[in-house]
Amino acid sequence: MSSVDNGPGDEIHNPDMESSESISDEERIVDEGGQTNENTELDERTNTTDIDPEDIQRLVSELDGLVERLKAMDENYSPPKYSPQRLIELLEKNLDRLPLEYRMEIIETLRSSISEDLFDPDTWKGMWYMLNYYLEYQGEKFKRRLTGDYETDEWGYDPEFLDTIRPVFDFLYNKYWRVETTGLENIPEEGRALLIANHSGQLPWDGTMIGNAVLSEHSSGRLIRGLYADWFPRLPFLSSFLVKLGQTLALEENGIRLLEQEELVLVFPEGVKGIRKLYKNRYQLARFGRGGFVRMALKTGAPLIPISVVGAEETYISLRHTAMINKLTGLPFPPISLRWPWLGLVGLIPLPTKWYIDIGDPIPVDQYTPDAAENLILVSQLTNQVRNVIQKMLYERLAARQSVFFS
Amino acid sequence: MSEEKVILITGVASIWGERVASRLLAQSRMRIDSVEAGDGHDGEAGIHVIGVDVEPPAEEIEGLDFIQVDVRNPLFSELLKSEKVDIVCHLNFDHKYYRSEKAFDFNVLGTMKVIGACSEAGVKKIILKSSTAVYGAHPGNPAFLTEQHPLRGSKTYGYTRDMVEIASFCNGYCSQPTEMGLTILRFPSIIGPSADTPMMRYLNQRAVPKLMGFDPMMQIIHESDVVEALVKTIEEDIPGVYNVAADGVLPLQRLIGLAGKISMPVIHPIAYIGTDVMSGARLPLERIAPIEWDYLRYTWVADVTRMHDEMDFSPKYTALEILREFNSVQKINRYKGDTMKLYSDDEYLRFIIESRSRIREQEMNENEDVDNE
Repeated sequence: MSSVDNGPGDEIHNPDMESSESISDEERIVDEGGQTNENTELDERTNTTDIDPEDIQRLVSELDGLVERLKAMDENYSPPKYSPQRLIELLEKNLDRLPLEYRMEIIETLRSSISEDLFDPDTWKGMWYMLNYYLEYQGEKFKRRLTGDYETDEWGYDPEFLDTIRPVFDFLYNKYWRVETTGLENIPEEGRALLIANHSGQLPWDGTMIGNAVLSEHSSGRLIRGLYADWFPRLPFLSSFLVKLGQTLALEENGIRLLEQEELVLVFPEGVKGIRKLYKNRYQLARFGRGGFVRMALKTGAPLIPISVVGAEETYISLRHTAMINKLTGLPFPPISLRWPWLGLVGLIPLPTKWYIDIGDPIPVDQYTPDAAENLILVSQLTNQVRNVIQKMLYERLAARQSVFFS
Repeated sequence: MSEEKVILITGVASIWGERVASRLLAQSRMRIDSVEAGDGHDGEAGIHVIGVDVEPPAEEIEGLDFIQVDVRNPLFSELLKSEKVDIVCHLNFDHKYYRSEKAFDFNVLGTMKVIGACSEAGVKKIILKSSTAVYGAHPGNPAFLTEQHPLRGSKTYGYTRDMVEIASFCNGYCSQPTEMGLTILRFPSIIGPSADTPMMRYLNQRAVPKLMGFDPMMQIIHESDVVEALVKTIEEDIPGVYNVAADGVLPLQRLIGLAGKISMPVIHPIAYIGTDVMSGARLPLERIAPIEWDYLRYTWVADVTRMHDEMDFSPKYTALEILREFNSVQKINRYKGDTMKLYSDDEYLRFIIESRSRIREQEMNENEDVDNE
């Protein structure tokens, strides 16, 4: 009830029976759509200005009584919450039923009351509380970060940081690239597994999108531990960023240790050769490293799960590599592309292509002993097998794909 | 009673030598007391601790047999033979920042001569204290460095370079067939209330410099766990190389935060150029930038699986506890004024009174014995 009389502050003036009736009438307006006669009385009183605190008290108790009576009549009724917008809507609905002079008066009152709202200390008090709460929360978080009072695991994975950054990944995943993921059921609920994917697109966005797919769409919501290339640790910000997201350097020692900790490990065996592919070579898998990922799987008995990513190749259209720029920057990118360096920084924005991530059936390695990792022929055979599976998955998806940008 | 074990500790005037010696002696005293309390069960051998250094320890250690000698002395092996030394714990190292011939001679040649003298004198085992910095901080480092990892430590920081030199010499020595057991313990950055290590100096700065955009994983150990580990290797036969570090690996930013410090990010090319200029001018870098930038840029965390499994040692303090203790000590130091000095003087006086009265009692007892006879 108080939510009604706290409004523009112009109904509560005459503490006689009439006024209480008028309030009940307003109730009726809310309830049944309004009756014109009582509304006029309401507006007549808006110009009086004398307020007695005792009168207000009495009025409030009377209004509460009225609410009680109203509830007795109709149990399901509850007055809608007060807000200036709702009041305006209500008045707009009933305005044309009023005589002209009253209408003008109402509009006048409304105008003044809404600007009065801004001058009402309560409004600012509310905003102040909200702002304070928000700042306090953020301040607490900042203070916690500053005093090191947050969790990290031995690899440097920082769950709080991931939660902060997740909305960006979700936007890219759902809105920007509209990623469609199939075969998520092939990823185990728990236990070790080694994911192998094709690498493409100049910047390692494909890894983040595979990670986001499992994080947000798989029933377990597991974190994927990606293994990144060895030129990342030299770069400021990017290196610590990747470490905070639970990624680590692509070394056999790291991969084996992660798999022994029953983690999901993602590798891109093509490495830099995959990511810096030219546009004319798109979706043609490069050499699959030296088979290190197969050794990792054989030593730990982790199943190999092939993944194909389609759409990432077209995010940048790279035409040519220039050794000079690569040497100057020390990075395998950026190449000369359709947009870079001609369009400046615009050339760095990936194109909004349509992505498909397909997760294939796991290839078990249970039949081999850990010693098989030393068997060079077996390792190269398995490497080729996985490579062929991913290449086949890529061709299947490309054949089914209608358009690069639309689904 | 079986024969007494003779333990020789080099560098006994340094904090590590002093603490290991007093820890060993305290332990043996406790054992003797318990043996005397129980009825004559003296199966365990007593120990005799000899301390060796070029200068005597600042505070006298009760029960320590101190010999003032330089370990580089060619007659050192004669001393080992005549004293029938069983175990040598070599802690005689110079922690200089800058490389110098003097420090190299002291650290590397000193260690070589000690190992040579020990094998000549038939010492049963020798224990060396080393650092995980010998692995080096490199972008290609695995997240956890095992003991077999190649040693690619920094060549600029004198102490680290000498440690790498010693480690490669020891590797060569271990490949030969030998009777003598050699244990090398590699410790990460040491933190503790009385330690004066690069990490302590680094964290003791007002604003802790850090490379902007780099947040490597760091590993630490408490000073008392260093002593515990050394004592354990002295008491048990565990030859080999072991990484010894506290449980818990933390990102540098979190480590600084937990230590109660504010980090000051520096753009990395500027930081490198700055230290190059400063070292060119021979400024006291061990105070300004005690840890090399590479060690604050790339990860150099050691794998402690072997410490848990084979050495069967688990440090008492976890990384979080170490930093919490550091933080509280720092806070107390803020309120320490001249009154605390008086307080510590008070303690010192009490120690003197007690030790003097104890000596007087002993003398009186001896006199009584003489009288009785």
